This record gives sequence, C-alpha cells and structure tokens, in this order.
Amino acid sequence: MLIDVCVSLSNAFNPKLPSCLAKLGHDELVLVELQGTLDIECDEDTTRDGQFVGKLNLKDANKPTLIVGHHLLEGKVVTLPKPLGVMHRKESSKRHSYPGDGDHSSRLAEDTSNPGVSWGIVAVVKKKIVFSKRPMPIVNLGGSTQRGQV
Amino acid sequence: MSELDLRLSAATAQDTGSFRLLELPPELCQIIESASEKTAASLFIKGHPTEDAVLCTSEKTYTVRSVVLSNTVLVVTPSRSDPNGTVHIRDQLHEILELVPVVPKLHKLSILLRDMEYDEGDEDRQATMPKYSYEQARSEIQASEAEFIRGLKERRILVLEGQLRPIAPAHLCTILELLLNYLISLSLSHQAAAVEELVSVLSDEHEIPRAVSNQVISWFGDVKEGLWKMDPDAVIRELGVGILRHHRYNPISENEFFKKWKNVVGDTFESSVKLSLLSGDYLRNLSSIGEEATLTYFPSSALPVDPAARFVELFLTRQRWKHEEIEHFLLDIAVNSKERDKLLLKHARALTDTEGIWYTARVSYNN
Repeated sequence: MLIDVCVSLSNAFNPKLPSCLAKLGHDELVLVELQGTLDIECDEDTTRDGQFVGKLNLKDANKPTLIVGHHLLEGKVVTLPKPLGVMHRKESSKRHSYPGDGDHSSRLAEDTSNPGVSWGIVAVVKKKIVFSKRPMPIVNLGGSTQRGQV
Repeated sequence: MSELDLRLSAATAQDTGSFRLLELPPELCQIIESASEKTAASLFIKGHPTEDAVLCTSEKTYTVRSVVLSNTVLVVTPSRSDPNGTVHIRDQLHEILELVPVVPKLHKLSILLRDMEYDEGDEDRQATMPKYSYEQARSEIQASEAEFIRGLKERRILVLEGQLRPIAPAHLCTILELLLNYLISLSLSHQAAAVEELVSVLSDEHEIPRAVSNQVISWFGDVKEGLWKMDPDAVIRELGVGILRHHRYNPISENEFFKKWKNVVGDTFESSVKLSLLSGDYLRNLSSIGEEATLTYFPSSALPVDPAARFVELFLTRQRWKHEEIEHFLLDIAVNSKERDKLLLKHARALTDTEGIWYTARVSYNN
C-alpha cells in the first residue's frame, strides 16, 4: 500500500491571509490552539457551513484576543518546538466523511482504495496562536446571539 | 484591519477530517522547504493496513505515530469571499502525527522470499515456484527507495525477470571463486576488470546466466563504463562466511578456518584476510587455557528483530558480552549509535573491569 504525499507549499489557498495574521509567519494558513473543544450547537451539518464563531483581534501582535459568545480569551503567539507540516486531503469526487476518530493507518489505507483522494503537504508552519487561559466573561457586547463554549 | 471574523468553513462536511498535522524533524523540514523551489520531494506513506504506517523520503524511513492532544488545534485559512475581514476554521484537530526515524523494515523480505531461492540448475522448478515481484516488494516493504535497493544488495537478492530471488549462499560462493580464478587466468586487474569478458566466460563455460553474474559483480564493487572495480573486502568476507556457514553447531578451530579461508581467496588476497571482516557473523570461543580459539557461525541476520527478544537470545548464547563484540549484533536494529546505546542501557547491565566494559543481562533468563 503506497500513498503518495505531494508537496505543494505555495498557492494552496487563495487569496492570502489578512496581513495581521500573515505576519505571524505563514501567509496562507495559521494554527490556533484552544484549551478544550469548540462546541457549536446546531442540528444539521449543512447549517454549520460558514457559521460565525467569534472575533479574532490582532491589534497587538503579542496579545491576540478571541471573543466567542460572551467570553473573552487572551492568547499569545508561540514558536513551535518543531515545525509542523500541514497535510490536506484533496478529493476530486464526493465522498462520505469519517465518523469519529479511527486508527490512523487503517484510515489512510481506506483512502487509497478511493482513487479520487490524495494527500499533500500544503504548508510548513512554525508558529501558532495559543489561547491557554481561562475565558473571561464579558458583558455589554449586545447583539450577538451566537453560542460557543470553550 | 486587525479584527477578523472567525467562521466555520464554507463546506464543513467536506473539510472535517481532511487535515493532519505532521511534526517535521529538521532534515525532513529542509527537504520539504527546498522541494517547493526546484524539484518535487518524493514522500510516501507505506504499509499494510495491519502494520504501523511509515513515511519514506527517498533516503530515510520514519514511523508515523499519532499523539493525542488535550487541546484543540484549529486550522485557519483565508476566506475566498471576504479575504480581508474573515478567516475560516477548516478543521479541528486533536492529534499530531509524530515522525521517528527507524530502521527500514526489510527483514520481512527474507520471510516472504523463503521458497524462492535461486540455485544452480533450478530452471525446472521455476514454473511452480511462488513469485514475488520487485515492483510488488517496492510498494509493500516499508523502506525508502535507497534503503530498499541497498537492502536487496546486502541480502544478496537477485532480480530475475522482475521477480525477486535470493541467491543460494553456496552458489554465490562458487560464482565468486570462479570470478577470482578468471581474474587471474584472464590476467585482468581487480581494479578495472572488463565485466563483459567475465560474464561471457561464466556463461560459456559454466552456464551461469548473464543476468546472474552481472548482478553478482555489481554487488561486490563498482561498475563504471563496463569496468569492474572489485571491493576485495566484500568478496573476502562473503567467502569467509561461506566457509563458516557450515560451522553453526560444530566449532572450527581458528587456525584451520584461516587456512581454508586463505586457500579459497587465493594468493592475491591472502594477506587481506582478517577476522574483523566477519564481525556480526561469528562467535569466537576461548576454551580452557592453552587450547586454541574456536569459531562458530552466528549471523546477526538470523536473530530476532524485536530488541527485547534479541537481547534474550544474545544473553542465552553468552552470559556476558564485551562491548566491541555485542555492538555488531545490534547494528541492524538501531538507527544510529545513540539508539544502540539506548538499547544497551535498557536491556543490559554494564560492568567495567580491567578488560573493558562487559554487558550482562538485566534479568536472568536461565533460572
């Protein structure tokens, strides 16, 4: 069983990231680490597409903030101990998505049986934004009815 | 603009599960980054569904291990419709794939090819023999391209009509002896011998197929522009192993062995014969004082591949090992000397006395 991993580092995503994010090191992709999981309430898969999650503020490059619902998160930019390659599965044909987490190798094996799938390394990332502190509740935000928990 | 809307991907069903994070060791990172500029890097993930997956570059092999994170990592990319004000979460990840360099898993070859040995005059058997092709092995064996080719060479496996056929050790020694003889009788230099001439004479007078002798010649030295620069040490070693192979359970005295060995390599190479060429394949036993040393055949290739099992076997064979001796039997299971020392530290106990460092078993296997 052989899976070809192609490397295509440039122009994987068009257009580029906004400049305030791009200056963190990579102009097409950024990694954001959160403590816990992002829990988004919704009933059907289709309604999640493009759903608003929160506001990311990078006015101060050393102190990024994220507002999710009525919570404010403060974060920092961290250099990764080892660079991370981001692998992306490209598919030419529609296919079902995998439910839950499975064994890694068997999942890769399944992929080869589908000729429309290939993996490629689309970016090498050296920094990430980490929001590791507890969320602070905020009032006075008004308007927003989106619910998110961190 | 410094405030951005963070939104889920526009196609969540398609994007979820389509990203993986791969922790890159420095050398791999370099390969990937330089690849984008000029040539494409060839990276492969290899393995049978029942095996642990490995990632191969053209030179090296890494195991792929999944490390679970308690945090969530969001993969965020720009938005197509609103590039300046919105970014999309494409995927939420809870694991990182860690890459650890490993020795290529070539040992499977000898098991897969067990019944396919190539020997003199087995043309009749060929039709009924199980087959395992070069291409099949290349896609199934968890090793990089370079390691795979080297592995075939080191294991003395012929590629005949696209099928893999390990050569019978005795037959290989016969061919090597013939080659040495013809080098002399045709008065060719072993630094630059015409391959064509050797191959022809072997095929005309001994019915050794050209494909076989050509490959054997290429295993034992470099062929450049039709000229063979023989690697004398490799040839001498192979012939030595050939003699020693018959002495797995019945030791041969060192002097007798050397006599036979020198005889077989001939006058030209008599002086290059030394025991260190055979390291990793023999055991030297000193019995009671006054008696001469004896040798037995003890190939590291026949030892278990799993480190723990290998140490059990080593310490059952001998209760204590000198550092210089044991290291040869660990070469093929450790990536480098640092890994080897780690194995020693884990599975053996070191003792230092006037003779140097000795290793004994951590646990006692005998009682």
